Amino acid sequence: MTVMNENPIAQAGFQQSADTRRSARVSAETVSTLAVAALCVVLLVGARFISPSLGSWSQVETVLVLGSFLVVLSFGQGLVILTGGLDLSLPAVATLSGILATNWVGASDPGAWCLLPVVLLACGCVGFLSAAGIVWLKVPPFIMTLAMSIIVSSLLLGYTKGTPRGAAPDAAVALMKGHLLGLPAPVLFLVGFVLLGWLFQSRSVYGRYLYAIGTNVEAARIAGAPVTAMRILPYVISALSAGFAGLMLVGYSSGATLRMGDSYLLPSIAAVVIGGSSILGGRGTFLGTVGGAILLTTLGTIISAIGLEFGLRTIIEGAIVLVALLLLREELFQKLGSLWR
Amino acid sequence: MISTLLKTATAALLLGAACLGAIQPAEAGAPKDGKKYKIYLSLSYSGNAWQSEAANIVKALAATPPYNDLVELKEVISGADPQAQISAYESMIDAGADGIVSFPISATALNRTIKRGCEQGVLFFMYDATVTESCAYNVSYLSSGFGENSAQALVNALGGKGKIFLSRGVPGNSVDQRHTDGAKHIFAKYPGIEVVAEYYSFWDDRTTQQETAKALAAHPDVQGIWAQAGEYGAIQALLDKGGNLVPVTGENSNGFRLALADPAMQAKGLTGVSAGSPPAQSGYAFKLMMEILTGKRELKPTNIEYPLPWVPADKVKLCSGDTFENGCNVFPKERVPSSFVTEVLNPVLLPELNIESALNGTPVKGATIQPLPAEVIKAANEPGINCSRCEAAKDQYKLTKIAPTVN
Repeated sequence: MTVMNENPIAQAGFQQSADTRRSARVSAETVSTLAVAALCVVLLVGARFISPSLGSWSQVETVLVLGSFLVVLSFGQGLVILTGGLDLSLPAVATLSGILATNWVGASDPGAWCLLPVVLLACGCVGFLSAAGIVWLKVPPFIMTLAMSIIVSSLLLGYTKGTPRGAAPDAAVALMKGHLLGLPAPVLFLVGFVLLGWLFQSRSVYGRYLYAIGTNVEAARIAGAPVTAMRILPYVISALSAGFAGLMLVGYSSGATLRMGDSYLLPSIAAVVIGGSSILGGRGTFLGTVGGAILLTTLGTIISAIGLEFGLRTIIEGAIVLVALLLLREELFQKLGSLWR
Repeated sequence: MISTLLKTATAALLLGAACLGAIQPAEAGAPKDGKKYKIYLSLSYSGNAWQSEAANIVKALAATPPYNDLVELKEVISGADPQAQISAYESMIDAGADGIVSFPISATALNRTIKRGCEQGVLFFMYDATVTESCAYNVSYLSSGFGENSAQALVNALGGKGKIFLSRGVPGNSVDQRHTDGAKHIFAKYPGIEVVAEYYSFWDDRTTQQETAKALAAHPDVQGIWAQAGEYGAIQALLDKGGNLVPVTGENSNGFRLALADPAMQAKGLTGVSAGSPPAQSGYAFKLMMEILTGKRELKPTNIEYPLPWVPADKVKLCSGDTFENGCNVFPKERVPSSFVTEVLNPVLLPELNIESALNGTPVKGATIQPLPAEVIKAANEPGINCSRCEAAKDQYKLTKIAPTVN
C-alpha cells in the first residue's frame, strides 16, 4: 500500500532508489516516536535545573501514575482518530464507570469481579450507540459523541442527585495504590497496557483494517475489509478504555465525582496528535500516542514546579505543545529518516 | 421623537415598578388564600457535593411544615455562565417571583437584572458567593476571615517556619482571591515561612490530589499545606507518597475531619484545622427570606455574615446520629462520602435538618420550622465582593479565631 502524500519529483532528486516510500514512512514514524520519548527524557533531566528533586525516580513514578489515565484514554481516542472520527464522550463515559463502580460495587464487595465487567459493558454500550448513530444514521462523529456525552452526564446528574455516594472498589484501589516487585502497580499495568495496545494497533489484522479505513474507506471496502464492523469497533474500544480509565481514577482518588473526566478531553486529543497521528485519520502509532501522553504529563509536573502565575503557566504549556507539534511534523522526520539511508 | 417615546416608556415602567413595590409589602404579611409564595432556587452550577447539599437543604426546608403550605419552590440550574443566570433571573422576575435564593456565578454581572427585580418587589438572597448590588441580601461567611485564620493556624503548627504549599480554588475568582490575600497577609509576617508551590485545585478533591502530587514531585520536603476546598485530596496525595504527613489546614469535608481525628494519621504528623465555606448558608438565607416575607422580621437589604466554622483537630467529634448533637461535627465514613461537606448542618440556625435532608432534600419527619435568632451579624465591607465603591476596613485581616503563638 503506497501513500501519495509526497512529491515524487522532489523525491527523485533526493533519492536514487526507485520506490522506498513505504520504508521511509515506517522509519519516519519510528523516528518521531523516538523523538517524543527523547523529549520526555530531556525535559525530565533538564527539570533538575528548576528543582533538584525533579528528575529523580520518584518524579518519574509520579509522572507515570498521573499519566496512566491519559495513556488509557488516548488509546481509545487514537483508534477513533485513526479511522477519521473524534470521540468527545470520553469524559462522560469515564464518569459513568466511576459512578457506577462506586454506587453498585463499593468497597470490599465480593461481587466486584462480576459487577466491574458489567460496569465496563455499560460503557461499551454507550460507545456502540455513538457508533450506531455515526455509521447508520450518518451523524457526524463530533456531533454524535457530543450528544452522547451530554445525555450520559445529565443522566448521571439525575441519578446521583448531585452527590455521588459509595466508595472505590477494592480492586480499583489495589490497581492504583498497590506495589508489586518494588514498583507501583499502575506503572506495571501501564507497561502491559502499552504492549497490548501496540500489538492490537500495529500488529493485528484489526489494526491494519483501521489504518486502511482511515486512509480511504472506499478503497478499504473494495479491498474486502469489514468496513461497518471496523468503523463501530473503535468507538466501542474507546468507550471501554474510557470506562477503564474511570475505574483507575476512582481507585486513585478513592471515590467518584460528577466531573472527574472533564479535564482529560483535550489532553486525550493532544496526546494523539503530538504522538505523530494525523487528526484526519490513517496515520499514527500507539507508541507515539503514549509518548505524547507522557510528554504532556511531564510538562504539567514541571510547569507546576516552576511556580509562575497561573495565566503565564498555561501560556507556556500551550506554547510548548505548539512547538512540539511543529517540530515533530512528519515531513521533518521523513527527511531525517532518508538522510540516514 | 424617539427620546420622548423612551422617556414616556421609562416613566411608565418606573411608575409600574413603584406600584408593584407598594403593593408587595401589603401582601407580604399573611399568606394569600390558596396562593403560595413563589420562591426560586437559582443555582449556577451543579455537580459537586457542596452545591447539591446547599440546594437540598433549601428543598428540605421548603417541604417542612408550615412552609410546605406556604411555599412553591422551583429550582433552576443555569450553568457556569453569567449570561444563562441573567436570563434565568429575568424569567423568574417575569413569572412573578416573590423571592429568589441563589448562588450567584458573578459578583457584578447580575447586578442590573437584580436591580430590575428589586424594583418589582422581588427579594434576592445570595448565599456563599455574593453580589455587589446593594438591593440584594448577601448571606456569606466570606467576611469571616477563613484565609487569615487558617493561615495563622498553619504558622502556629509549624512554629513559624517551614516550606508550604498553597492549594487554591478557581483562578480569577474573587472568593479564591480574598482567601489567598488573607492567608498571604499572615504568611508575609513570618520570614521563615516559604511558599514553595502555589497551584489551583478548582475546589475539587481529585484535582487537589493530582496537583499536590505534582508539587510533591518537585518538593518532597514540604512541611505544611494551606488548602481551600478539596483538602482531602492533599492528604491522599501525601499518603500516596508514603512517609510522613504534615500539618494541613482546609475546609469542611467529612474525609478531612475524619483524618484529623484519626490517631494513626496523627501519629504520622497530621494536624490542622477544618474551617471554610458551609453549605448551611443557603438554608439560613432561605429562612431569613421567609421570615421577611411572612412579616416576622424587619430587615433592609444588607450583608449578613455567617459565622466561620472552626474545628481544630482536637475538637473533631464523631456523631452517632443523623445530626450535630452534643457538639459532634463529623459522621462515620459508612454514612456519607468523604467529599460530604459536614457544615451543612447547624443546630442553632437549622435544627430542622439532618444528613438525609442534605443528601436527598427530604424533610425530617415531625420537624417544624423553628424561628431564627433575632440578631444577624452584619458583614464587613469587602470591595468588589459584597459592595462596589466601598472601602475595606483597616483591620480587614484581623484574626478572630486564633492568636499567634509564634513571633
